[in-house]
Amino acid sequence: MKSQYYIKVNQLLNGIKAPVLIIDPDAMVVEKANKTAIAQLGEALVGNPLQVMPVNGSFILAAGSNGKKSHIDFKSSRVHIHRKVYLLAIGQPVARQAALRLQLQHLEKERNLQEMKANFISMTSHEFRTPLTAIASAIDLVEGRMQREGAIDDFYRRNIAKISHEVFNLNTMLDEILTLSKIVSNNYEINKMPVDVRKMVDFLKHQYFTDRRDDRKLEVKISGTPRKVIVDKDQLSKILVNLIGNAFKYSDKKNPVLRLRYHKRKCEIRVADHGIGIPEKDIPNLFNSFYRGSNVDGREGTGLGLSIVKTFVEMNGGKITVDSEENKGTTFSITFRYEDE
Amino acid sequence: MRTNRTILLIEDKTNLSDTLRTLLEMHDFTVLLAENGEEGLRQARLNRPDLVISDIYMPVMNGYELLDTFQSDSTLRQIPVLMLTAKTGMEEVNKAMKKGAAGYVTKPFLFKKLHAVIRKILF
Repeated sequence: MKSQYYIKVNQLLNGIKAPVLIIDPDAMVVEKANKTAIAQLGEALVGNPLQVMPVNGSFILAAGSNGKKSHIDFKSSRVHIHRKVYLLAIGQPVARQAALRLQLQHLEKERNLQEMKANFISMTSHEFRTPLTAIASAIDLVEGRMQREGAIDDFYRRNIAKISHEVFNLNTMLDEILTLSKIVSNNYEINKMPVDVRKMVDFLKHQYFTDRRDDRKLEVKISGTPRKVIVDKDQLSKILVNLIGNAFKYSDKKNPVLRLRYHKRKCEIRVADHGIGIPEKDIPNLFNSFYRGSNVDGREGTGLGLSIVKTFVEMNGGKITVDSEENKGTTFSITFRYEDE
Repeated sequence: MRTNRTILLIEDKTNLSDTLRTLLEMHDFTVLLAENGEEGLRQARLNRPDLVISDIYMPVMNGYELLDTFQSDSTLRQIPVLMLTAKTGMEEVNKAMKKGAAGYVTKPFLFKKLHAVIRKILF
């Protein structure tokens, strides 16, 4: 804060009887405290990060003056001081019981809000699938009818395929946004159990990667003695759908290959394609949200897929690595522990 | 030429069911339509289709309730029910399969995919 403002702000703050804090919202550091606040909360408060995270702008700090413990309930709002945004928090002393009750209320409010957000996103994404399904089917109908009437040629076929392709792209993006919103709002309940990866791969292959428009298939190769791994089923399925989906998306001729290797101490799943590959300079950022390779060209995507994959792999105690060469192809490898290791 | 196979399609979004009906008819199926589980059940009892394709989320009697009713009725139990689900989570799929669904297709889908699943169940 500049000096001429400093004096004014200081006078203003000390004129207020209630405890007042000015907080830098970026680092959540207490920049200033008025006399009452320092008397009740101590000098060490200033210049240090706030020890609690405000929930909807509210937070409670424990005060300890004259050996008596009390709590102060702060409500903060944004203010501009010299063109910078600060949080101005004004406190009100509360008794311990009331403090706990207030804390609970704040948390409850926050949780309800988060739940509402997650529900809203889940509901809207569900609703989005209704028109997407109707569009996809109508495209199939138009193409089928044209074919039957001999009215189709390469031009129509190419453009019809484009529309259909984009519909499914939109659907994938929807899935990713839904998943990310669940991760961000901490709404992901992880439910680990012994899972037969072979069975899951077989299930996903038939569910998502057969009867494709381009007639390509996923090749699956298994080696070693099958054992179950301890993971969340739903998350592993999302990991695999994403990696296999990418293998199809970033290659166009050869079939992607999934190798399932049961090693002595861990289970390894390798998903390989012979596609465009990933430029070396992009690899360090590959797993960051919204980051996309510099050679993706027109291939749509949110840049969320691999960041979700990495989050899920790590939530399940696994490891992920990538090996890629531009214009040769990419191999992702993930490993998980066995159930009895 | 008809395949002599009748499919009862239970789907509350008429925009989708109209399109699917035409597509199925193009592939020589006879198609009956119902807009919710309750109506579907009535049609199934009356017309005894070879296959039921049903949405899960519908206003009156959803897909799960429909599956339960089919399973508890000895005259309906033999009719395979294929579920169309908009949820991609494995939980939903598992729930439908546990309740006796003969198969499922997640929305959105290519007709090619739906047709392949139908053929697998019927032929």
